[in-house]
Amino acid sequence: MEHQRCYIYEPPETEERAPKRQRTGKFNPQAQLSERLQTYRDIWAQQEERIQDTLEGADSATQDKIVNFISASASSSGETQFAIPTALIVAGPSIASHGPFFERLGRSITDDTNSVYVVLTSGECPNLKTLLKNLIKKVTSRVEDEDEDDVDRPSVSSRYGPKLLNYDLGHVQEWQKKTCAASIVVALQDSEAFDLGLLVDMVDLFHSWLDRLPFVLLFGIATSAESFEERLAGNSLRYLEGEKFDVTQSDEIIEKLFTATVANTDARLRIGPNLCHRMLDRQKDHVQNTQDFCDGLKYAYMSHFYASVPSVFLKDGIAFEDLAADAFEAVRNLPSFRRWVEEKLEDGQAQDVRQLLDSNESLFDQITQHIKSGQQALSNLSHSTHVLAGIREALRMSPSVRLSSIWTRAASGELNGSPLVRETMLSIKKIPSDKLVQLLAAMNELESDYFSIDLVSSQQRLDSLLKDTDAPLRTQHDVRNDSLRTTVVAQKVLLSKHKAALSEQDKAYSDLVTRFHDELDAYFTSSLIDPRTLFLSEILMYDLKSPHTEVFQPKPRFAVERALASPHDYLGCDCCTGVDGNPAALSATQPATAIVYQMYLESGTLINVSDLWSAFNAIAGDGVEENEPKTMALFQRALAELKYLGLVKPSRKKPDHISKIMWKGL
Amino acid sequence: MMPDEIIAQLNAEFQCREQQVHHLAALYTTHFPSPLSLNIHGLTATGKSSILRSYFHLSRLPHTIINVRECITARHLLERIVAASLDALDDFNDEKIDRRPYARTENLSALCVNMGKLLDGREKFILVLDAVDKLREGAGTLIAALGRLGEMIPTLSLILTTTLPLTPSTLHCASTSFLHFPSYTRADLLTILSASPPKIFTATPSLELFPDYTPDLAAEEDAWLWGRFLQAVYDSLSKHTGRDLLSLRNCAMRLWRPFVEPVVSGQFGTRDFSRLIVNRRHLFQLEESVLDRIINSTTSDAALTTGVLATPKPSKTTPHNLPYYTTYILLAAYLASYNPSRTDVTYFMKHTDKRKNKRRAPSAASFSVTGKRTGTKHRKISRHLLTPSPFTLDRLLAIFRALLDGTVPQVADLYTQIATLTSMRLLVRAGGAGSNDALERGGRWRVNFGWEYARALGRSVNLEVGEYLVGGVD
Ligand SMILES: Nc1ncnc2c1ncn2[C@@H]1O[C@H](COP(=O)(O)OP(=O)(O)O)[C@@H](O)[C@H]1O
Ligand SMILES: [Mg+2]
Repeated sequence: MEHQRCYIYEPPETEERAPKRQRTGKFNPQAQLSERLQTYRDIWAQQEERIQDTLEGADSATQDKIVNFISASASSSGETQFAIPTALIVAGPSIASHGPFFERLGRSITDDTNSVYVVLTSGECPNLKTLLKNLIKKVTSRVEDEDEDDVDRPSVSSRYGPKLLNYDLGHVQEWQKKTCAASIVVALQDSEAFDLGLLVDMVDLFHSWLDRLPFVLLFGIATSAESFEERLAGNSLRYLEGEKFDVTQSDEIIEKLFTATVANTDARLRIGPNLCHRMLDRQKDHVQNTQDFCDGLKYAYMSHFYASVPSVFLKDGIAFEDLAADAFEAVRNLPSFRRWVEEKLEDGQAQDVRQLLDSNESLFDQITQHIKSGQQALSNLSHSTHVLAGIREALRMSPSVRLSSIWTRAASGELNGSPLVRETMLSIKKIPSDKLVQLLAAMNELESDYFSIDLVSSQQRLDSLLKDTDAPLRTQHDVRNDSLRTTVVAQKVLLSKHKAALSEQDKAYSDLVTRFHDELDAYFTSSLIDPRTLFLSEILMYDLKSPHTEVFQPKPRFAVERALASPHDYLGCDCCTGVDGNPAALSATQPATAIVYQMYLESGTLINVSDLWSAFNAIAGDGVEENEPKTMALFQRALAELKYLGLVKPSRKKPDHISKIMWKGL
Repeated sequence: MMPDEIIAQLNAEFQCREQQVHHLAALYTTHFPSPLSLNIHGLTATGKSSILRSYFHLSRLPHTIINVRECITARHLLERIVAASLDALDDFNDEKIDRRPYARTENLSALCVNMGKLLDGREKFILVLDAVDKLREGAGTLIAALGRLGEMIPTLSLILTTTLPLTPSTLHCASTSFLHFPSYTRADLLTILSASPPKIFTATPSLELFPDYTPDLAAEEDAWLWGRFLQAVYDSLSKHTGRDLLSLRNCAMRLWRPFVEPVVSGQFGTRDFSRLIVNRRHLFQLEESVLDRIINSTTSDAALTTGVLATPKPSKTTPHNLPYYTTYILLAAYLASYNPSRTDVTYFMKHTDKRKNKRRAPSAASFSVTGKRTGTKHRKISRHLLTPSPFTLDRLLAIFRALLDGTVPQVADLYTQIATLTSMRLLVRAGGAGSNDALERGGRWRVNFGWEYARALGRSVNLEVGEYLVGGVD
């Protein structure tokens, strides 16, 4: 056996049939997959476009500033510079979005200024030499792309003479002589991850070339500009001079993305409140990463169309002939269909129900109708959240609640009659006229098909009222119209409220506000429905937790620990359920690694291997002397597996001991 | 150009360097032999590079100057020497040397051969290696060997500039001459800098409004005020900071705009120096005036012009908005680095009544325990001033869970966050075997931020880190 390095393991073939057999019925779970795929692509393309627009809009202001900075430093390069123009770009801790940010930045820099743009990451620059090689490659390759025939051109010192080493910035100089770029922008995407000595060397080198090469440095910073400055040594600081640019914080971008995609009134498929909660909380608690948010959204859309046959009804202009009977059968199994049908039965429409159950045509008609009306209702809902958020913002109400949280609450049907709405309505009741003017102006922007209130007439009436007064008008509910009267009766202080007499104008204004308030109230009540009560809500809204969490928040450590600590959960066999009804007890039938692991859990930091072995032998061995080598082999393999998993390592403190390095549940 | 003219021009351009210029002019002329190697030494910004450059440019001797700062490796330097000499000779003699024999210069002997070949039968050639002590690798032997290059190639004369004089032990050669560029004295500095006064008025006052403020007069006023101002800057600030030409100039330039601001706004006349200096005295007391910063324009200018003294820079300690759990991971890491692990039980064990064991009073116990063991009376240095000690991943996670009130699922996101923090260098892998391998079991980490940052982080999530810190800080 010694001379063989590896063995091919051939499991003994068993004659028995596999315990689980595939279903062979002709039911096809992937009916109309291609149509659904097509629908998904249509719908997602719209969302994707919104996402791109939002992302580009979100940091366009910062990018413009940076581009201006670069062109300003390029134009001033006529005079001798003492320091390298430097932009400290505080891009925040969401490292994953730095890449796309610098990519977009690069595009606008090369578009708007006559510069080359090079991004370097810490991964590709372990030392100065490699950094320079990469830099040279990236800077100079651009030109070679443009004039391919020129590749053979002789270098500075003729073709056969001394060649420049491939990390000599002379290459760049040569290139610069030909192209006359206004500046060479070098962006260090994750500057904190660069070795500090490397940065110092690089700055030193670039500074000494500054009279020949117009370098501009961009440092991408995740923590803060101050701590970055602190890390650099004094001399390097002297060689750098520039400005700080703050990139929009990713939570703001997420909010914008949410508004543009999930809470959009035109979205054809929506994400349900539970999923929204999960995605938003994850952003807040764990990662701040716009890309991750978009991925989550995309995955939800994909899951919806992949896993549910009725989603095919979301296809634009779908015709009855395109559909298989399966789709209708699937709709008849939806909980919302049952609810709807039961309601109909209660109303005594048994005939209709019969038809719905028997005839696919009539069901099809109902479905198309309800999809349309359901989408309308959801759009109304979305819009009303925009209105509510808009009102709160215009009135500067505190606490400021983000649209995302308002929307999530609305989508779970909690908002109607909730304290948040009541409080908002109350402050509208008391609104003085100067604020009402602002509010109406703000609400003008919110006007749309989904918003039915007649703002114009309110506006006109308000204008006519305000024409002859200077002081803001107040409503009867305004506290400032109340006066407190204190009387002392029998040594008790009595407080009594008195309404101050309202002027004619105030009265008219009160009427106006009351009407406005009532209209708004009615609007909220009608549009803030619980979407889950809608027929076909399963099609219109995707809110399943299951594949989402497994994909985006897997628990690898938990899974391994659980598999080892209670193998029964995974094996599902009868033999491992435990001894005498005690599921926690160890038994010989469990996998050896699981047995050792459970003993490992009970021991201290240092484990005596020989003790462990005797304990193992007591459980897994059968007490027969001849079988002991076999048990020993099992034990050793188990221990090796634990070591491989990173749970133990040999201890240097005591001989024959191993030390425990992982605890369960962390 | 005649030697005397050169000297005159150089002396005009670089004041206070007459002696050095004379020396150079005496040593390097067309007709007399020059020293085989010369070491020019002097601290930064004493004019070594600029004077050499100007001198050789004017004297038209065949020469080349190589800035060693730009050479990454020793090989790079050697290649540069040959290539630059070829270029220089081509230039001076207006010829085209056949470069094919000089394609490669891998090592010192190749350099000797190549330079020998190149300079064979030619007149004197001067090779200047500027800032040789800044060579990034192989400095020791290379300098010694380069220093003796002249012995093998008689027509080559070498100039090495350094900050400190090269010692005989690095040179291995006694024939080297030395030329010292001493640092400038106060009087020198003031003379040099006052030669180039900046303007008081960035936009010249229009001649119609102020007909007697002619450009000539303006220049005179600029020079007068700048001279006085320089003295003030030198006397008040140079005691504490660098006195070299460049840092003094930087410093003065930084303060100049805020200093003359009252003059520009018309509050004082250009000759009201004493009132101006009283009015602007805060400028000479601010830390910002002497600190090197990357961002100069916005933040420090505001402080300089408003004269708010000792503003506690809030931005410095406000941490970036990190996600909630990431903040806790950082805090746990800080505590894991600064608390000895044996105290974890006292601080983080959850009791049955769910009350956590915070530090109640400044714990004298922890002091004396350590004191006895090490034999000293008391630990003098507060823990948070020491270097952080490494901790294992599981200890970090355990403290993390102990700090939080609720439970956190064991999601992979926690590990992602640790990886993110590592690439932000807030956490660093502690050295030792396998510290580059992220999968190495039992790997250890350290925090890479200080107490101030940790405290601010803690406050952002309403946690007083000091309460959990052994021998804590308040
Ligand atoms: N005597 C002088 N007169 C005018 N400028 C000077 C003088 N000495 C140095 N400088 C200036 O100081 C700067 C630094 O000089 P440099 O030659 O690089 O110094 P070193 O090489 O000694 O570090 C240059 O901009 C130079 O013009
Ligand atoms: Mg120099």
